[in-house]
Amino acid sequence: MSLNSLRAWIAQSSPALKARLTGVLYLINGVVYTKADSLIHGKILVKDDAAATVHNILTNGSVLQLSFAYSLIATVAYIAVTFMLYELLKPVNRSISLLAAFFSMTGCIVGAFGSFFTIAPLTILGGAPYLSVFKTEQLQTMALLSLNMIAVVASVSMVFFGCYCILIGYLILRSKFMPRIIGAFLIIAGLTYQLFLSPPLAANLFSRVIMPAGALGEGSLILWLLIFGVNSQRWRQQAGTAGE
Amino acid sequence: MSTMKNWLAQSSPALKARFAGILYLFTGMAFVFADSFVRGKLVVADNAAATAHNILAHETLYRMGFAADLISAVGFIAVTLLFFDIFKPVNKSIALLAAFFSLAGCTIQAFICFLHLAALVILGGVQYLSAMKLEQLQDLALLSLNLHAQANCIYMVFFGMYNILLGCLILRSRFLPRIIGIFMIIAGLTYQAFLFPPLAQSLFPFLIGPAGALGELSLVFWLILFGVNSQRWNEQASAANTI
Repeated sequence: MSLNSLRAWIAQSSPALKARLTGVLYLINGVVYTKADSLIHGKILVKDDAAATVHNILTNGSVLQLSFAYSLIATVAYIAVTFMLYELLKPVNRSISLLAAFFSMTGCIVGAFGSFFTIAPLTILGGAPYLSVFKTEQLQTMALLSLNMIAVVASVSMVFFGCYCILIGYLILRSKFMPRIIGAFLIIAGLTYQLFLSPPLAANLFSRVIMPAGALGEGSLILWLLIFGVNSQRWRQQAGTAGE
Repeated sequence: MSTMKNWLAQSSPALKARFAGILYLFTGMAFVFADSFVRGKLVVADNAAATAHNILAHETLYRMGFAADLISAVGFIAVTLLFFDIFKPVNKSIALLAAFFSLAGCTIQAFICFLHLAALVILGGVQYLSAMKLEQLQDLALLSLNLHAQANCIYMVFFGMYNILLGCLILRSRFLPRIIGIFMIIAGLTYQAFLFPPLAQSLFPFLIGPAGALGELSLVFWLILFGVNSQRWNEQASAANTI
């Protein structure tokens, strides 16, 4: 399919179809991101034990590479989600939709950059001659330190994704083509993500506050987009009154 | 909420400009807090042990520095959008290019926040770090902070490009004084010295610092005090729409 016919198809496809595709991409992002995360936490990371962690890395050679690939795929999918949600929510308020996209892009790029901490242990443990000035235990410590940095970078990107959720939540609240309650859930989720401004606080409250709020907000958005898409007629009305 | 939306839609360009000015000042203060009051006070140049001691003795302050860095990046993204809206009538393409430069700068600024926090992770005294000697960990922590300072140079180049383009847009606008545009272009040009960090370091106190302060502060205070000339903004916006 040529680029032009692809563009024409996107322009002509109904908003509901676009919304469903957004839901699919968002779901892919969620599944793949969870997979990347659980590979590291389930198969590799042994808390505070560098030797055991390194043993896991060396005996499951491809797990880190797989997790690296998954986390990049998650970011790629989310950039697509960002673009599509920008298009969907543009009729509500173009400026705020653009600002939301800016926040999400920042989060995505920070997240993509952070993926390199997933792969760095393989270089550190790669046995290159120049690394021989470090003792084995020191290299193991550096490898674990690198894996622990993944969470630090994730804290940074979560603050930006939180701003994104707050703004798309606001836009959904103001929209006439999606249920307002989803917007309210997203705003709550985004507010709880701001707890990552203080990573220890976020770690404390993650399973009790942030996870449930995030699952409710982002989960309800994904499900609604997948199952119902958006109300195409009302979307066109709002796009018409937005006057473009 | 609906009154807020109406307010936003109807708010005059002058109000938007004032808001942008306040937000710009706020992000600047958050940045100065993190850079001067936290890192400037706690980091002792070339002394890893003293730096480590300071960070651990003032952990809460150090963590507030991380939050302030992030808040500054978040705030400047919002400033970027407001400026894009304000300068779109002057030249949409250049306003968009300027926003891209600023976003690149903000993203780098956000990413390198991890180097600030990394020092604390390294000094955290967790069991698995015991393979390193205490002095090695302190060295690593200071190294991380020194890399943070180096990384600052990267985004300054992008913010410099942003300032140059904003300056051009102000020069071509009919709703802001041209002299501020010239100041901004000069500020942005001096920021390009960060392409060669040692040069930037030696020029900072008597060239880059003053030029940056003159450019950015004159813009910020003009926006806060006077906003933009709404009538002329509307004229330029409608002229841009008829093309």
